[in-house]
Amino acid sequence: MADLKINSLHKYYGSMHAVKGVDLEIPKGEFTVLVGQSGCGKSTLLRTIAGLEEIDEGSIEIDGEVVNDVAPKDRDIAMVFQNYALYPYMTVFDNIAFGLRARKTPKVEIEEKVAEASRMLSIDHLLERYPRQLSGGQLQRVAIGRAIVRQARIYLFDEPLSNLDAQLRDEMRGEIKRLHRELGKTMIYVTHDQIEAMTMADRIVLLRDGKIEQQGSPLDLYERPATKYVAGFLGSPSMNFIDGMVTENKVTINNSNHSLDIPEQIKNKLTSHANKAIIVGIRPEHFSRADIANHQQYSKLSVNIELVQPTGSRSYVTFRLGQNPAVAELRPQDLLGHNTTIELSVDMSRVIYIDPITEMTI
Amino acid sequence: MKNKRPLSQLILGDRGFKYQLIAPSIFILLLIGIFPLIYTLLVSFQGITMMDNDTSFHGLQNYTALGTDTRLWEALMHTIIFTCIALPIELLLGLLMAQLFIDKLPGRQIFIALLVLPVVVAPVVSGATWSLLLDTRFGPINQILGWFTGEEVTLLWTINPDLVYPSILAAEIWQWTPFMFLLLLAALSAVDKSQLEAASIDGAGYWTTFFKIVLPAIWPVMAVAILIRGLDLFRLFDIVWALTRGGPGTMTETISIFTYVKGFQQFETSYTGAVALLIIILLSVLVIGALKKVEIAR
Amino acid sequence: MKTSHRKKIKLALRYIAVVALTILFLFPIYWLFMISFKTANEIYAYPPVWWPETLQLSNYRVLFEDGDAATVGNSLIVAGVSTIFAMILGTICAYSLARFKTGGEHLANWIISQRMIPPIAIVFPVFLLYVWFGMVDTYFGLILLYTAFNLPYVIWMMRGYIMDIPISLEQAALVDGYTRWQVVWKVVFPMCRAGLFATAIFTFVFAWNDFIFALVLTRTDVATYTVQVTHYFGGQSNFWGKISAMSVLGTLPIFFIVAFMQKYLVRGISLGAVKG
Repeated sequence: MADLKINSLHKYYGSMHAVKGVDLEIPKGEFTVLVGQSGCGKSTLLRTIAGLEEIDEGSIEIDGEVVNDVAPKDRDIAMVFQNYALYPYMTVFDNIAFGLRARKTPKVEIEEKVAEASRMLSIDHLLERYPRQLSGGQLQRVAIGRAIVRQARIYLFDEPLSNLDAQLRDEMRGEIKRLHRELGKTMIYVTHDQIEAMTMADRIVLLRDGKIEQQGSPLDLYERPATKYVAGFLGSPSMNFIDGMVTENKVTINNSNHSLDIPEQIKNKLTSHANKAIIVGIRPEHFSRADIANHQQYSKLSVNIELVQPTGSRSYVTFRLGQNPAVAELRPQDLLGHNTTIELSVDMSRVIYIDPITEMTI
Repeated sequence: MKNKRPLSQLILGDRGFKYQLIAPSIFILLLIGIFPLIYTLLVSFQGITMMDNDTSFHGLQNYTALGTDTRLWEALMHTIIFTCIALPIELLLGLLMAQLFIDKLPGRQIFIALLVLPVVVAPVVSGATWSLLLDTRFGPINQILGWFTGEEVTLLWTINPDLVYPSILAAEIWQWTPFMFLLLLAALSAVDKSQLEAASIDGAGYWTTFFKIVLPAIWPVMAVAILIRGLDLFRLFDIVWALTRGGPGTMTETISIFTYVKGFQQFETSYTGAVALLIIILLSVLVIGALKKVEIAR
Repeated sequence: MKTSHRKKIKLALRYIAVVALTILFLFPIYWLFMISFKTANEIYAYPPVWWPETLQLSNYRVLFEDGDAATVGNSLIVAGVSTIFAMILGTICAYSLARFKTGGEHLANWIISQRMIPPIAIVFPVFLLYVWFGMVDTYFGLILLYTAFNLPYVIWMMRGYIMDIPISLEQAALVDGYTRWQVVWKVVFPMCRAGLFATAIFTFVFAWNDFIFALVLTRTDVATYTVQVTHYFGGQSNFWGKISAMSVLGTLPIFFIVAFMQKYLVRGISLGAVKG
């Protein structure tokens, strides 16, 4: 059963159409990540779920009950805010207990619950402190504690990690994921960071321009993006898009003498695009040194290296395919130098084909 | 710290709530602002004086009388004179003092704290204080002047027609120059130091730097200060009342004192009603115009 | 070496100027305070006495014996009560203006423009009304007027302070289960405590220092200290001892308050235009 159901939701800010008809069902206990660039409407969507913004059209159902006109306090949701939203004049204990007190929870129960939540987040030694005495990571834990101490139906996270430095962010990602497993609650998490989306989500809902571009499991979206936008959004470094033409068994790359062989099983998909422009999407990790991968599903390319960026475990190599810059992710032992020409193989079974007009994948 | 979201965002159930919040304040403002005004408008069309409780309709009689009342226009003139002399002097002195304090100085905070004390003295008390200072025989000012001239000085500061304006202006400037000083000091401290450094590297002189960089930077604050003080001066009452009560004769009568005398000493109730409405209309036009020009609290 | 020498001279000159200015600006206050400690003989001595023989308090004693000092109590009552009303009503109104832009810029501008109308033009109509309702020379009448007169200031200042509060603090409380009114008391008020405190002080000082409203609307029962000071001016004989002692009684509390207020002074007197 869907815990949360959103039907053709619209939201306007004056003349700005922030959410343009979103339909979404979120099953009980799932960890859903709403991801997209800033201004895509993901935060607005989250706030309408919380009841912090009125909706202009459509409906929101929680547990089968339409909550359009239900005030935030009666929706039984808990939320973690981007800037933590901790009260500077209250101790950590009081901050965590704030929501319980609103619900007139007995004092003994408050103490038990705060103790339990703070233990789960290993902040039980900080309860007497004030927010200004805590570090960023600790503040984040308190903010999360404040939400989980309540037995809410749905937990909302509004870019909770964006104020943390990279290392803490990695740590907190795991922490939140662990909490989700332990609590088994429905959680909706908003972020602009595709790595957070990929690593944490049971399901990603990718928003663009106030609409859902695609939703599904992280690997689903990664492997089978529905549009060029999705393909480019997920993955780092992002997918290479190469302009080309479909000719019989090949895609010839514009402004070059390169071409890629189309594998047998895909040929009939591309027949309708014969002799038309096409965009080929290749992820950096689907390049490899020609001598290593030698199989019929691989296409060979000879490219001139412009730049090598080693990261230790992998090296990123920049070159050109026609007019398009491209990045390949190679093993560092593949010893590379600038301005050398190397042979690369492309795993054609993993390549995606995009119609340049509709920007949909074929 | 700026909020990222539009502040106007409505949260569920706000529609009634936001009006509940403003209702008591608006009620009181209307009660004290609008209700008596309407009553006054009514009265101003009647002929009530101390002698005669004449509530019959007199039409625009009181308003046409405004035009020929030379005492009223003189009072307005006096008010404008006070404003036009005091305001620039306060501004300039305040700016000079602020310049003096802009760099580090041992005990800076203590001096500032002491210097701003005049601002918080009740204006009527500062008027009283100055009347003590300016006393012909027992005041220290004539005494100090005597040290320089070598003979007894017996200037009648609050009576002599040539001296009443300087007397009132002295008290006024003494009280409010620290106000300008405080605001301009805050404004000067907020001027971007790197801009000044860049200017000095570019070889700009003191005055060029002041007019091209400092002045534009502090202008918004200066405009607010001028607006606040300008409006204060327009309502000038307490200091003058304590020093001269508008005298000698009506020489230092300001618009506020004139209204007070008409309404509460001569009891020309209906006529004063017309005067009060004239002032409100005059000021409303002025204030609305000024508010649009000046970014008061953005 | 040379430049540091020049710097020292410059600093010394600035120091002399600063000290001279401070003396100049404090002298009237010094004189007022000193007169209040002088005996009648010292007050009316020629040439004037700069430092009284003993700091005797007979001028103050007279005020308390005559009951004139009660006017300071009146000032305290009307300024205090009107400040409390103006703060509570003004702050919730400011919250509405800040968060919901109730009435838009027009309402906000109308409210602040109410502050700028000359008091004499406000007090005359109010006086007519009060005569009608028998509210002249009552605490209620004076408190109502001070509350109304200070409301625009409170609303304007608190609007600025409230706009500085991150909105998510309130949203978090809403999600946590509080009603809108609870959010105002439990989040907004504590969050702008410093602003509330500073604004209340200024509101209090305005009412405390007011002369014209009290002059028009009081007779004897609720006359404030500022009105009382002017009562001692009369014809040929000014009661200097009483004038100065009463002035000091009214001024001293303000000085103490302001001493603790340095941080908020600039923002307060500039109507919030300078955050200082």
